[in-house]
Amino acid sequence: MSVRPYYVPVATEEQVFKAAFNQNLSILLKGPTGCGKTRFVEAMAHDMQRPLITVACHDDLTTADLVGRFLLMGGETKWVDGPLTRAVREGCICYLDEIVEARQDTTVVLHPLTDYRRQLPIDRLGLTLDAAPGFCLVVSYNPGYQSVLKDLKDSTRQRMVAIEIDFPPAEIEEKVVAHEAGVDPQLASQLVRLGQAIRRLENVGLREVASTRVLIAAGRLVCEGLPLPVAAKAAVTGPLTDDPVVTAGLSELIDAYFEDE
Amino acid sequence: MGRFELLASAIVGRSVTIERTQEKCGAWTDGKSIFLGPDASETAVLQCVLVQAALLGAGSFEGEILDRLVRSTKLCRRYLFVEGHRALEALEAILPPSARRLSDPGIAALSKSPSDSLAIASGRQVFANPPEAFGMIRPRQIRRRIVAGGSDSAPPQYQPRSPARELLRDLDDEVEDLFEGPDLVSSPIGGGGAIGRVLKRLFRSRPSSKTGPPGADAPTHRSRRGTRVSGNIGLAPATLPESTSGDAFAPRGLTYPEWDVHRGRYRPDWCTVTPVDSPPSAPVIFTLPNVTGIRRSLSHLGVALERRHRQLQGIDIDLDAVVESRVQTMSGSVPEEAVYLDLVRGRRDLGVLVLLDVSGSSGEPSTGSGTVHEQQRKAAASLTVALAELGDRVALYAFRSQGRTAVQVERMKRFDDRMDATVLGRLGASEPGAYTRLGAAIRHGTWLLARESGVSRRLLVVLSDGFAYDHGYEGAYGEADARRALSEARRLGTGCVCLSIGASTDADKLRRVFGTAAHASVSRFEDLPNVITPLFRFALRAAEAQRRKSQHTIRAKERLALEVRSVA
Repeated sequence: MSVRPYYVPVATEEQVFKAAFNQNLSILLKGPTGCGKTRFVEAMAHDMQRPLITVACHDDLTTADLVGRFLLMGGETKWVDGPLTRAVREGCICYLDEIVEARQDTTVVLHPLTDYRRQLPIDRLGLTLDAAPGFCLVVSYNPGYQSVLKDLKDSTRQRMVAIEIDFPPAEIEEKVVAHEAGVDPQLASQLVRLGQAIRRLENVGLREVASTRVLIAAGRLVCEGLPLPVAAKAAVTGPLTDDPVVTAGLSELIDAYFEDE
Repeated sequence: MGRFELLASAIVGRSVTIERTQEKCGAWTDGKSIFLGPDASETAVLQCVLVQAALLGAGSFEGEILDRLVRSTKLCRRYLFVEGHRALEALEAILPPSARRLSDPGIAALSKSPSDSLAIASGRQVFANPPEAFGMIRPRQIRRRIVAGGSDSAPPQYQPRSPARELLRDLDDEVEDLFEGPDLVSSPIGGGGAIGRVLKRLFRSRPSSKTGPPGADAPTHRSRRGTRVSGNIGLAPATLPESTSGDAFAPRGLTYPEWDVHRGRYRPDWCTVTPVDSPPSAPVIFTLPNVTGIRRSLSHLGVALERRHRQLQGIDIDLDAVVESRVQTMSGSVPEEAVYLDLVRGRRDLGVLVLLDVSGSSGEPSTGSGTVHEQQRKAAASLTVALAELGDRVALYAFRSQGRTAVQVERMKRFDDRMDATVLGRLGASEPGAYTRLGAAIRHGTWLLARESGVSRRLLVVLSDGFAYDHGYEGAYGEADARRALSEARRLGTGCVCLSIGASTDADKLRRVFGTAAHASVSRFEDLPNVITPLFRFALRAAEAQRRKSQHTIRAKERLALEVRSVA
């Protein structure tokens, strides 16, 4: 058996997930970018011993991309299952990352799957698949995401059980950063302190705040021997903003936090 | 953005500015800004900023505490000593490590909350003076801010920089007024001298109370009664634009005709539009309003899913293409591989120019909160940001006028400029003044759109209170010209949207000014997302129809000319 992906529970999210899984309910994960949604699903898939199929949703994701399509091979047409169909047939956990990015006409295909019917109609094949035991649909959704052009349909939302995941509290985040980046706890706590400060910045031109993910990246750069301020500027400032004024302000902030380094 | 501004904002949890003053005293804050002395070293500055920001972040000046502090300077000092340590300790988790050197856990442990600190400070316990890095507390300044509407709990707002002169005059807590006595140096007319005050009252002008040395405080607002204001005008002089290659402006400014409704004809070359660059503004933090709602409303404009045949990949098999491909294979030629059908999102190809009315009338209080100018500015910022984020070509210009030869159009963001903090800073620094020659500004905007946007779908958004007024541009004349300019723009295929936000102008008047152009009046900026989608859609559709019609006319004329020639 493989190793369980590293995930430290913050609240009751693990119990809720397992209960929903056992009750064949679909799950809606809400939370900011880089707070650990994907890692959480991986850990849960491991605990529930189900294979995980992840689909990163994007603007032009069509129903055919999820369900499957006919391809022309030689002189014949051949049906190829999409990731969702495969998950339904084999009883996998299907994780649709950033579901709001997908077009609304695409998300409608999930409806019969997410209520009591647990069916996937495939009109091109003229058949309706019943979900195999162990199938679970998990979608993630970032409510504050700045590039959100559309919201999730209410009819879709209400078919799900919602689990809210936020950035973990400082002491847990320190543990996570230390583990994932392989740095000592003291350095992890310095990085987390910086992250917490940046998260308090609002409306200064940052589209997103410093996530646990960028803090881990900074930590990993330090592991390679980079000085802490350099690593933090590369991993935190650069990805967060392109604005020269905000960049300068963030660099100053980093210098203030790591002046002893 | 000043040094450590972002750091301070992070600690406080909202926008805070940092300002340098010329007075030699410790750091202090008025709740929105942190003020530092002139010659503090870098480390000292950082420490001062940390302490003052921690005080603000830990809620040290809330509620009744201020009322108590106002009464006694000694209490302020003692409170600062106790509360400073407590605040540093309370925010320990987010403060930089250097803050730890400042705080004394022993003293911090005495108090659990600001009111605890106040109780201890009012007690008999003997305390040393607070360390130098703690600066001082000026409760009156903080309270004045709250009265002025910038309370601690209020959402962050745009905040004008106050010049050092005014700042010093306000320091009534512990510093004696250095500028007491009659003002003998400054000009008696514009400044604060005795004659100036009399003259000002006489001319019904009011000082802008914002910026500038004596003599330049610009009583430039228009009055509804049309009283001529004789004070000096606070506009930047019409500067020649730099002659860069990408500069589309003619060096002298541009002349535009004006519609004379009384005679029923145009006055050719009547108005001169001078492009003005925003003066290099002092850094102003202009807090961007939440644009998610507006962006969502605008995102669906002009994008529809389109069914494309004969694609290399797609959602379904394109039967016609497959049949042909089979025929090609059977007949021995190389078959076509593009046999799929796909749904592709259309491109919107949209260019928008936002024209912001910064004439004096927009300085009036709005029906919502703040002035009309503040509401319009928020709308301009969010429209520009939202459209830029959606990938549209967008430009932002502000206009005001002072007679027909001085219509000033200020560039805040050109089509090719990035949407960044500089643009927001310019917007934040803009102040209402002078008059509104709407027609010339609209013609200039249309010209800029046609020339610089480089896209086929063009939209002109005019943010104005609809009060067209200038020298020789009153009443029906001005309204008719504005209306005419809008219909000219539409004839050229440019959609027009006119938005009036927070202005008290009545619907009839707006209709007279904006004519049949898509226009709406909302009382608050927050209501904007609800109205813009239909407005934009209507304007784009009207422009599209007009463009097709004019293309059709042009083609018909060409055909006719050809036929005439062939007959001849």
